[in-house]
Order: sequence, then C-alpha cells, then structure tokens
Amino acid sequence: MSEEVKSIGIDSTPRLMVGSRLHPTENLLLVPEGALQLSGPAKDILAMVDGKRTVSVIVDELLAQYAGAERHEIQQDVLALLGRMQQRGVIRG
Amino acid sequence: MEMTPTEYSLTRPSSLIAEVTHRCPLHCLYCSNPIELKRSDNELATEDWVRVFKQAAELGVLHLHLTGGEPLARPDLAQLIASGRAAGLYVNMITSGIGLTEKRLAELVEAGLEHIQLSFQDVEEASANHIAGTRAHAHKLALIPIIRKFPIALTLNLVIHRQNIDRLESFIQMAEQFAPERLEIAHVQYYGWALKNRELLMPTQDQVERSVVIVEAAKERLKGRIKLESVFPDYFGSYPKACVGGWGRQILLIDPIGQALPCHAAAVIPEMRFDTVRERSLAWIWRESAAFNRFRGDAWMSETCKTCPRKERDFGGCRCQAFQLTGDANAIDSVCTLSPDHTLMAQLRTKISEPLPIWRG
Repeated sequence: MSEEVKSIGIDSTPRLMVGSRLHPTENLLLVPEGALQLSGPAKDILAMVDGKRTVSVIVDELLAQYAGAERHEIQQDVLALLGRMQQRGVIRG
Repeated sequence: MEMTPTEYSLTRPSSLIAEVTHRCPLHCLYCSNPIELKRSDNELATEDWVRVFKQAAELGVLHLHLTGGEPLARPDLAQLIASGRAAGLYVNMITSGIGLTEKRLAELVEAGLEHIQLSFQDVEEASANHIAGTRAHAHKLALIPIIRKFPIALTLNLVIHRQNIDRLESFIQMAEQFAPERLEIAHVQYYGWALKNRELLMPTQDQVERSVVIVEAAKERLKGRIKLESVFPDYFGSYPKACVGGWGRQILLIDPIGQALPCHAAAVIPEMRFDTVRERSLAWIWRESAAFNRFRGDAWMSETCKTCPRKERDFGGCRCQAFQLTGDANAIDSVCTLSPDHTLMAQLRTKISEPLPIWRG
C-alpha cells in the first residue's frame, strides 16, 4: 500500500497543495487548519511555485532578483526549502 | 510561597469559529454542541456576520471556520464566504454535506471557499446512519468525487468511539482512495450532547491502545500525501490537553445568536456572561470581556497548577471538563494525575455498559 513520495529535483514543476496560499501581507503560508511561518526568501520562492515553472526556472529568476548570489547556493537553498515543505505535505512534486 | 499571578501577554486570536446556525440535519450521538440549541429566529443576519469577519481580520484572525449546525442551512452562505474572503480570511466550511449539490458547491467555491471538512460517522453504512440518527452515509460518499472536481482542500473526518473504533483501519483505507489533503481522526470529547451518551461511546483501554497504533502507522505511511491529525481521548491520558490552545489565547467562537465564547462548551460554566457581537466589537470582546479574561493567566489556578511548569504548555487544561467532573470550574482538570479527583477517570473509563443511545429530538 505504501507509496513513496517522489523527491523534488531541478526539473520538477512543484506546486502548492490545493487549498493553500500565501498570506497577502504577512510572511505566512496559509494551509487548511494552520499557517507556516516563512523566513528569509521563502515567500519569494513560494510565490513562484505554480506547477508551471521548473525548479531551474525558479532559480534563474531568483538569480536575476538577488544580484551577486551563486547559482549553486541558490539552487541548494531552493531544493532544501521545497524538500522540507514537501515533507510537510504542503508542496507536491 | 509567593502567590502573585504571573503576567501574561495578550495573544492574537488565529481562528474564528462561526456557528452560523444550530439547525442540523444530523443528530449525532457524539454531538459536542450544547444541549440547548439556539433557535433559528434569533440568528445573526448576514450584515452582522460581514461586520464580524471584517473585525476578526483586523484583530489578526487568519482562519474562518464556518460551522454549525449545518452551515448549508443558511441561504446566504455564499455571501458569508465571499465576505470572509474579502476581509482577508482563509475560509473553511465544516459540513455534513446534506444539502450540498455540485451546483451549490460551484457557487461556494466561486465565492471563495478554500477548504471543506466532511464528517463521517463510520465506514459501515448501517452503523454510520445509526450514529448520525439520519440516513446520510451514502450521500456523503457520493459527494466526495464531486468535491474532488473543485480546486479546494478536502479534510475527511471521523469521530471515533466504542461503537465504530474497531473499523478504524477500514475507514482510513476508504478515505485514502480519495486522496484528501487531510484526514482527521478524533476520539469523542465528552461535551454538550455527547456527555449524555458517554457510557455508550466510551472505548475500552484495549481499543484506545489499538487505535493509537493504527493512527501512528497511518501517519507514517501517508506522510507527504495526506496529513493525518488525531485527537487523543483525554480520559485515558495522564495530563490535561491544552484545551482550545488555552482559554482566550487562540480562538474566538461566535454562536448563532452572536454570543462570543472562548470555546463551544463554555456556557456550562456557571456565572459566565457572554457579550454579543450585536453590542460589542470583537476587539473589545477579545481584550476586555469578562468571559475571555476569566481563565487567562494563572490567577485563577490552584497552587498545584500555579507552581507546575506544565502550565506553560497546557494552560491549566480544560475548564469545562473540570467543572463537569468536579463541580468546580477552578479545579485541576481531573485528567491530570495531580488532581485529587483523578481516580474518577478510571471509574469513568471502566464504567462500560450498553445503555440505549440518546439522539436529539
């Protein structure tokens, strides 16, 4: 019965769980029966998670936003955030 | 010993529970609503709720839970949803599904509904209908695929007790095939009507232990796909629960006639006076009202609770339960092993008989 959840890679097109959305003003992701406190660039990253952009496109766009940052570092941060969110079930691969 | 009360800081409420009506097509044996329901001719009007939702958002509330009774009994439900969204709230509806059609759901989703919680009484039809006091099970089942056509989150929930707990595993399997975002498995809490049926519903120790194993295994197996949340039966615990996240700390409940309560059982406590949203703003009620301040902080606590480090975690447990079980709303919650009345829990746990079920008329 057990079904492994596929982990997110650079070619994945992650999306937010149905019924979750970013709070319009606060650093929060609203989910059914709760809210996740976001820190650092998490809100900017999640704003691009739309089921259409691939992780690598998201990284490209972040690179353009944060001039001077290293691509591999951004990519690592994005994958780590998405992985944590996926574990919590609020991001689907 | 120094007995000055510890300062507490006022938190912001995160959830508004809006009991928009007490009318309900179901008559569940475990209903936690009060024994005396509010009459429909005195229900708040649409504009009252619109004002309340706006005030709630200004006060910092994030989530609006439309419940009842059955919220679908309100013809203005789509308007209520739209005004909740317009105020900036996340809108959830807790429903029996009775009265919900694809057309009505489309209107509600269009209005801004984001999450729907559909309750089940059992996985087996005859038993489910018996517990609900209504033939509702087949309709609820047929409704799930319809709900799944819409881009909203779905929670399926099951209240468990001695009469259905042995089918918990089959219920989880049934629920799983619909891939809901959440699954809620809650042991009955003995408040309101449920208290009348306590002997009928009380699980055995053995059933509770098996249910915990099943729930924990399912949580692990469903991780990342379905969020399973469970409510432990506190009669079987050693420490009290942080009831409603602490009195006047996280939730505000507005009943159908506009009274603001810190939790839905609060009216059982003697000498409680509830201010109404017809006369007062939500901000005033949250900050100033006697009802919300009554069990905030630790000034009301017994010395045992006041000097207990757990008070930061459980805020002194459940006041309604303390009153119901001991007759004193300031008493230590008898679930706690430090309560002089704790032995009562063992008596209630083992007092198992097969009395006749009592439904609401």
